[in-house]
Amino acid sequence: MQLLIVLKIPSHPVNGATRLKTVQMDNGEPEPSYEGIAAAFAKAKAEKEKQEAQGLKPTSVDAGKASRAGEVHFKAAHGIVIAFFTWILILHVLGIYLFTSGFLLTRLVLDHKSECAVPPIEGALSYSSGSPETGCWHPKTFEKAIIILVDALRYDFTVPFPADGSDETAHQFHNAIPVLYETAVNHPNNAFLLPFIADPPTTTLQRLKGLTTGTLPTFIDAGSNFAATAIDEDNLIAQLYNSSKRIVHLGDDTWHSLFPGYFEPNLTRPYDSFNVWDLHTVDNGVTDHLFPLMHSSNTSKWDVVIGHYLGVDHAGHRYGPDHPAMNAKLNQMDGIIRRMINQLDDSTLLVVMGDHGMDAKGDHGGESDDEIQAALWMYTKQKVFGRSSPDYITPPATAKDRPVAQIDLVPTLSLLLGMPVPFNNLGKPIEEAFIGAKGDGYQNLAIVNRLTAAQIHRYQHEYALARGIDESTRSSSLTLWTAAHAAWDLANGKAHAGHYQSVYSAFAAYQQETLSICRGLWARFDIPRMLNGVIILFSTLVVLGVYARGIEGDRTELTPALLIHGGIGTVLGSIAGFAITFALTSLPKEHVLVCAAALGGMIGVSSAFWYIRLRLISPFPTTIWGWMSVGFTLLLSIGFAANSFTIWEDEILLYFLCTFGVVAALSSFRQKAVADQALGCYHSVLFIILTRIASLSRLCREEQMPYCKSTYYASANSSTSAIWQLAIPYAIALLIPVFIQGYYQGTRSYQGSAVMWLNLALRFGLLLSAAFWTMDAADDGDWYPWLGETIKTSKIVVAQITFAIALAFGYSTFNWSKPLLSIENQATSSTSQHAHVAADGGRTSITIFGYANVHGSRYALLITVWYLAIALVQKPMGAGALAIATWQIFSLLEIIDTNKLSDSPIGPIVLGLLGSFHFFKTGHQATLASIQWETAFIPLRTIRYPWSPLLVILNHFGAHILCAVAVPAIVLWKQPPKKKGLLGDVAKAVGTHLLFYATVNLATTVWAGHLRRHLMLYRIFSPRFMVGGAALVIVDLFCIFIAVGGTRISFLSVAEVFGFPG
Amino acid sequence: MSTTVIGGAPAKPRAPATPIDLLNNDTAKLYTHMHPILVLSLYAYQFPSIVADPVTGLTKTLIPLSILQVVYVALCLPPTGSGSGSASGQPEKRKPGEKKKVVPGKVESGINGKIIPAFLSLLLSTVVAAPLLTTTLVLFGAPITTHHAHTLLCGAHIAFLSIIPLVYVHGVDGATWREAVALLLPLDEVYGGMLGAVSGAWLGAIPIPLDW
Repeated sequence: MQLLIVLKIPSHPVNGATRLKTVQMDNGEPEPSYEGIAAAFAKAKAEKEKQEAQGLKPTSVDAGKASRAGEVHFKAAHGIVIAFFTWILILHVLGIYLFTSGFLLTRLVLDHKSECAVPPIEGALSYSSGSPETGCWHPKTFEKAIIILVDALRYDFTVPFPADGSDETAHQFHNAIPVLYETAVNHPNNAFLLPFIADPPTTTLQRLKGLTTGTLPTFIDAGSNFAATAIDEDNLIAQLYNSSKRIVHLGDDTWHSLFPGYFEPNLTRPYDSFNVWDLHTVDNGVTDHLFPLMHSSNTSKWDVVIGHYLGVDHAGHRYGPDHPAMNAKLNQMDGIIRRMINQLDDSTLLVVMGDHGMDAKGDHGGESDDEIQAALWMYTKQKVFGRSSPDYITPPATAKDRPVAQIDLVPTLSLLLGMPVPFNNLGKPIEEAFIGAKGDGYQNLAIVNRLTAAQIHRYQHEYALARGIDESTRSSSLTLWTAAHAAWDLANGKAHAGHYQSVYSAFAAYQQETLSICRGLWARFDIPRMLNGVIILFSTLVVLGVYARGIEGDRTELTPALLIHGGIGTVLGSIAGFAITFALTSLPKEHVLVCAAALGGMIGVSSAFWYIRLRLISPFPTTIWGWMSVGFTLLLSIGFAANSFTIWEDEILLYFLCTFGVVAALSSFRQKAVADQALGCYHSVLFIILTRIASLSRLCREEQMPYCKSTYYASANSSTSAIWQLAIPYAIALLIPVFIQGYYQGTRSYQGSAVMWLNLALRFGLLLSAAFWTMDAADDGDWYPWLGETIKTSKIVVAQITFAIALAFGYSTFNWSKPLLSIENQATSSTSQHAHVAADGGRTSITIFGYANVHGSRYALLITVWYLAIALVQKPMGAGALAIATWQIFSLLEIIDTNKLSDSPIGPIVLGLLGSFHFFKTGHQATLASIQWETAFIPLRTIRYPWSPLLVILNHFGAHILCAVAVPAIVLWKQPPKKKGLLGDVAKAVGTHLLFYATVNLATTVWAGHLRRHLMLYRIFSPRFMVGGAALVIVDLFCIFIAVGGTRISFLSVAEVFGFPG
Repeated sequence: MSTTVIGGAPAKPRAPATPIDLLNNDTAKLYTHMHPILVLSLYAYQFPSIVADPVTGLTKTLIPLSILQVVYVALCLPPTGSGSGSASGQPEKRKPGEKKKVVPGKVESGINGKIIPAFLSLLLSTVVAAPLLTTTLVLFGAPITTHHAHTLLCGAHIAFLSIIPLVYVHGVDGATWREAVALLLPLDEVYGGMLGAVSGAWLGAIPIPLDW
């Protein structure tokens, strides 16, 4: 343990101030008195090695020159390391891109449009196809329609609870919107209520596409929720628009990006859809503009009104379904619907529906039952609706009974309004809407089903032609089609209901079969792309593995060769690929280009490895630590092949981290120095206990139930923090700076800028972020209603100030801080046992405090800077977990130091485990629904690019980022200032850290690809693959530009005092 | 090698620990092979009841297990120290090198020399090792608020399997135990047994998440 170093110098009459200045001076002329010391140093040949390690700045002219040369050399080497890792990053991105483009499903969009005058099959009975005035393919039932979309209206919100015979207690979301159920039961000919099943992904944009085109979504569109693009497929809105219907839209502005220009400009009122913290603006806007339109004086101005309410969805996102705000919101909707019923005229159809449901916390996006089960309710003053059986008058008690698909709305609405069924539709008309008031209109039902099935048949035919699909893939549906026709011909002319009932079921069977064929067909994966993506990721992993673990000595010496060969290879490969795309135009261009570039890079870098082959060593581990690193990474990666291990990843990481802690404690007993034993043991036990405490913060995914209890929010059905949780950030603000100071004080490094930053700025920033979350809770809970807007404004200001402290003030501190050293002059010989004699003689000595950890203490400031920035965007519970993560990082640094493991892969690997572990502890899961979108509004009122996505990333991958930033500290903590090859050590550690994420990413990618037909693909494997890919790219970016970039600043700062190692 | 001895004893270099030899008689040589079979049969026999009702099953198994372990150490292993009943005595007196020479002469010493140390190691394993291992299990992720009996019984089983023989042969000598913790003891039957039990417990956690 080198706590401090004492220099004894000859008894020159030098005062302390001069000495201090001399030691710290940068490239200036040395003081004459100091020259003498330097000369004395030069003579002490035996002390030379020691002197270098102790690293007092060389002061002779030659040494100054050497130092300047060293600086140039360092900057160049540093730039090359950054460039090399960037090259790795590019390969990662290429591999992930190629795999993703083949894995996320794609569907060919046909441009065909249905036409009013061209029915898919010759006229049904005596009805001849006409104009929109009477109904295109089928006589229309309604002139006008009001379509109300209540975002996230889950089916169980609308039916009474508890169901008969059940003694469960009702939640806030139960029985709050009874109007739909009441009307369906009391006026079965005027209304019906049915479960309305969404096709995942359950994001609003995807749902709107399904609800207007009638086709199945594909996953590739799931990511475009932030930037919606226009639908160019045939759809209901376009059909209405083309037949000169006037469409008014009110509410969620997603519609406008999907259907630009289709809506009546002077009546339409779009509202920003993404501010999930705002429950009322959109809803009040819709209501305020809807009722005037329903007034008899205005009904002639429009044909279809679409109102999209967002309040229920936002209440779910913000508070969760089991919250008084949800109850109030649903009650409000109930009142609005009752008003609509009163004002509705006879020729207008009123539709109220949800586009998706919400999970237990109020989020959606996935495919759990709660997320896909929405409600559909239709109402009219005419008595046109019916039921095929009197038992069906009561709406189903659960969404498992008699559900209809959301795509069924498209043919239903089209035919009710006299529109042609959109060309790509796969849904079928809803029975209740066409069977007639008596419940026996099977002829009508058969006709509409025949029409719809014929359109599906036409579409399938065109699709098969366009895609070159063999007839055999749909032979089963073609058989059904023939059978349905035979039944139709048989029944035609005989007006017996029984015959038409069989016709109806025959056409419905054809539709069902076609739908399931399409589901299979569009789940087609582009295997070559996926395979090539995996190959690129695998070979990049090998290159990274050899670079990180298989090079002897300082890798910065070899990085230029690797970079140049790899870079040239990549460029030549791209050129070759470009040429190939011209020569063989049939191949997909970007696929060839990506493959050729990656292949070229691999060939290039392999040649470089051949060139440096004498420096290559086996990358396979030789110590227990190495085996543990490999073991943890591989066990985790293999586990992703099973859904159980993927689901329980958080517990597995806890297990691995504790194992590391225990082995570190055991290893501490083997250390020679008693201090190392004691410190190592203490920090190992601390590390284990902190891991276990952090593990108490849990946000369970649906699949973990019932073996998991969520603690992240106030309750399992909530997304707000409990009152006691608000105290966590305050406790952290008081304690964490003290703990970090402790780690600095161990080496007397707590001085200089560290005092200002850790004690004042960091603590103040943490206090502000605690204040933010209190204000946020006050705003959420409406504790101080009279404050109104003030609290909203001030919490945003507080958040912005916190960010400024972290990223502006913090980075300035990090950038311009001197090394954390101070020098004391002692008149008598030091009695300190930590004294290291650099030069003999004299009664005066200089003591340099903070010397032993000058690199580590300087760099670790960056960890705390990022900690502050990330802590703000985590909920109170997450802030607690993140504080523990920071504490653990410092304790890990001590473990690594006392066990002398800075060269071992275990440090960076444990940081990878720690980052992944705290990902779960900050309230995340590998599911789309666990993304905390509302983070975007912490320092901002509205969506602003690029900040809003960045904030969400900072929240979602906060733990990964924090640990990535900490990687260089593993090799810098308590290293002598002039130790050679530190930059190479940093590159090695960073490479090892990336190796962990690259392995996990490769594993999740391979498993997702391999298990592409697995039942749980979209629930478990695909989200984990997406998290793995995103985490890899983000960790790459932060490791390269923040961590390695940060070492440049801290190295230059240390070198200002100690010079560069020659 | 560690030169530190706690308890204020003078810091003299310790001789490297030597492997523990079995007692040099036929019973020991025979029973040492039978013992693992007996223990495994016990678990195999009790397995259905442990799965059906873990708490009852584990509790019931604990008693035969402790008897088996006590019999094993008494029959096969040399007790710690040289004097009778010194299992918890003065560890400084013992020199590890002497152990083997002393032991053969002690074969007939009967109850005082064997049974009491065996029961003392059982007691120590129950009182000290079992709670310690239970805490470790909780730290590794066992539930904090529920399933206390399950965890405690699991800890007790690991303690009985791994710690009883170790206490019996090494006593409570701090330095030896520190070597044991630091994985510095030579790999003999007793120490290997402990390492095996602990690694088995570690590996045994792997199937926990599986839902089939």
